Amino acid sequence: MLKDIIKKEIVETITSAKFVFTFLLCAALILLSVYTGLSSYKADQKEYSTAVGLNKRNLESQANYQSLAGLGTKINRPPQVLGAIASGVNEAVGRVASVNVAYDPNLIDSKYESNPVFSVFGALDLTYIVKIVLSLFAILFTYDAIVGEKERGTLKLMLSNKIPRDKLILGKVIGGFISLLIPLIIPLILSLLIIMVYPGIALAGADWIRLLLMFVMFFLYLSVFFTLGILVSSRTNKSSTSFLVLLFIWVTFVTVIPKLSIVLAARLNPIPSVHEITAKKDAFLQQIQGGAQKKVMDWIKENTPKTKEDQATFQDKMKKFLEDYQQDATSQIDANNAALERDYQLKKNSQVRLAVNMSRISPASALTFSTMSLARTGLDEHERFLASIRAYKPVWTKWANAKMMRNLNFGLGTTPETKVVLDDMPQHTFEPETLGPSLARTIPDFGLMVFLIIIFFAGAYASFLKYDVR
Amino acid sequence: MLEAINLTKTYEDGQLALDHLNLKVEPGEIFCMFGANGAGKTTTINLFLNFIPPTSGTALIEGIDVAKEPLHSKEFVSFVSENVTLYGNFTAYQNIDFFTKLAGKRNLTKADYARALESVGLQKDAFDLRTKTYSKGMRQKLGLAIAVIKGAPNILLDEPTSGLDPKSGQEFLNLLIKMRDEGNSVFMSTHDIFRAKLIADRVGFMKKGKLVMLKTRADLEGEDLTELYIQYMEEREA
Ligand SMILES: Nc1ncnc2c1ncn2[C@@H]1O[C@H](COP(=O)(O)OP(=O)(O)OP(=O)(O)O)[C@@H](O)[C@H]1O
Ligand SMILES: [Mg+2]
Repeated sequence: MLKDIIKKEIVETITSAKFVFTFLLCAALILLSVYTGLSSYKADQKEYSTAVGLNKRNLESQANYQSLAGLGTKINRPPQVLGAIASGVNEAVGRVASVNVAYDPNLIDSKYESNPVFSVFGALDLTYIVKIVLSLFAILFTYDAIVGEKERGTLKLMLSNKIPRDKLILGKVIGGFISLLIPLIIPLILSLLIIMVYPGIALAGADWIRLLLMFVMFFLYLSVFFTLGILVSSRTNKSSTSFLVLLFIWVTFVTVIPKLSIVLAARLNPIPSVHEITAKKDAFLQQIQGGAQKKVMDWIKENTPKTKEDQATFQDKMKKFLEDYQQDATSQIDANNAALERDYQLKKNSQVRLAVNMSRISPASALTFSTMSLARTGLDEHERFLASIRAYKPVWTKWANAKMMRNLNFGLGTTPETKVVLDDMPQHTFEPETLGPSLARTIPDFGLMVFLIIIFFAGAYASFLKYDVR
Repeated sequence: MLEAINLTKTYEDGQLALDHLNLKVEPGEIFCMFGANGAGKTTTINLFLNFIPPTSGTALIEGIDVAKEPLHSKEFVSFVSENVTLYGNFTAYQNIDFFTKLAGKRNLTKADYARALESVGLQKDAFDLRTKTYSKGMRQKLGLAIAVIKGAPNILLDEPTSGLDPKSGQEFLNLLIKMRDEGNSVFMSTHDIFRAKLIADRVGFMKKGKLVMLKTRADLEGEDLTELYIQYMEEREA
């Protein structure tokens, strides 16, 4: 009997115009988003290697270490292949950071910066499609699951038979879910095929695990809306009411809660503005620079040789002094900046964390954050990357300063103009996050969705047992 | 056999929809219930099907208390709803197949379905059409076929003739007579006095939840049922 209900539910759904429409649209959107995601990843990759090569050539072409230190080296953010599925903050955060002796490095030149209009629309990645479009389909498939049968009189007709209500709701849920999965799973399998055959894209084993876990999150997310639809459908007496209620909840989940939690977090946990921090950094820089001139003058006054013969040793001594002084000043500035930055980041992170956690009560946010984590395109990975650049900065500056000072030329012709040599330049390295921590971060989201599914399903089940079928 | 003992229903809003109904529909009997809109006819049927719990009293199907053993009692009853639309995306065959299986009959063939559909007068060329293209009367017939094929000894019909054309109405009456002659108990709520008089073994008038008149076929011999109905409705109003 359960089998009959499941079968009826599936056949009824897949022979409807609604299903055909949904299936085609799902397939088109999913395949399109995966395809464009992959091709934009390929483009990013090309851009990345070009930028890396350009930077190298640029450094090599510097006339001396002084200009090299001033110009600095550029660190480019490598693209993430799973960003094709969940672009996360990829488009919003900068792609390149300049590391030089003077400034604190920061990632700039994001895609949105170069093309702000994109930020209005957001990325059309698979996560977005699932979050917005497919969740709507889940509602469309379920809003009249129970109340529609009542309106057609078929609920009474079914229940005039020896069929327990729990079996009926179970059959409807299983059948309905299978019919929702069909338009989802077929395009998803096709998109996996696209990923496999797309030229130049090779996913590592762990990436496949990440991808499959993302699909699990998609599946849970849609189950949340599916069970919610059944729940609302078994608590209303008109399908139009059911649809409106569901639409309202959908809007709340998808846009209101995420946006509201950002506003709320800023209110509850205010942080100093970026300008304040910059002003503090500049003040310290000026203080150091102001003192520098006097210190150098004093040193020269004290150490100026009496005779012409000492000139050569003096020059060496001065080089040594200047190098030490420069190193000292830079490390002071670095330390001060780092402290300010750390403090600011700490405050900012706590605000962000508050916003993220508040918004996470919405399954849409939970989906966004979990897939971002899994794709390594989330805020955490961004912070880690930035931290790796900030850690690299003092290392590089030390090297650049040393090179610069040792090769200083006071125009006396004793030291020949040196061409820059980059062989011993320290390289920036970044280890992308391993699966463990990414996974750990998605556990709350996973838990929330499972929790909502259980609550909604139990609610639907209980409601239907008492549902007024007339 | 259908039996109501002091069957009473007061809705949550205090509306007394059925007031101590005592009634027995014997095997081989057609009982027709008349009454103005809102008199309590549908409420009675809903109580027999346990769609709503009675406030007091008992509804019995084949002696089974429907409130206590709802599932068991439903083995013995077929139901024709007043407003069944069925599954519009399904053909008549698909609809009847689904409900027949729900009724627990698993080994019927397409030929059996065709026979049931023919017996209610549905045109053959419509069997394979999606029922969303059906007229009201065609849907009514399909609903009837679904009840017929279940073959339960008790049949509850809520205004079944309202959408039928004269010929179909006549065929429908014949069908009910056939079912009665096979020993089934038929309870039908209707506004169609003319047709009901042709087949009813007994009729009842219901007014504001009360059964105010009960007459047998013999009582009605030579009486104008329409006159009687109007008379009853007005008389008690005063
Ligand atoms: N869910 C409900 N809540 C409150 N009152 C109800 C409910 N359902 C029906 N009623 C009331 O119970 C009374 C009987 O209704 P019922 O549907 O049984 O009438 P009926 O005889 O079938 O009428 P009709 O000929 O129009 O079909 C009416 O007064 C109606 O308003
Ligand atoms: Mg009625």
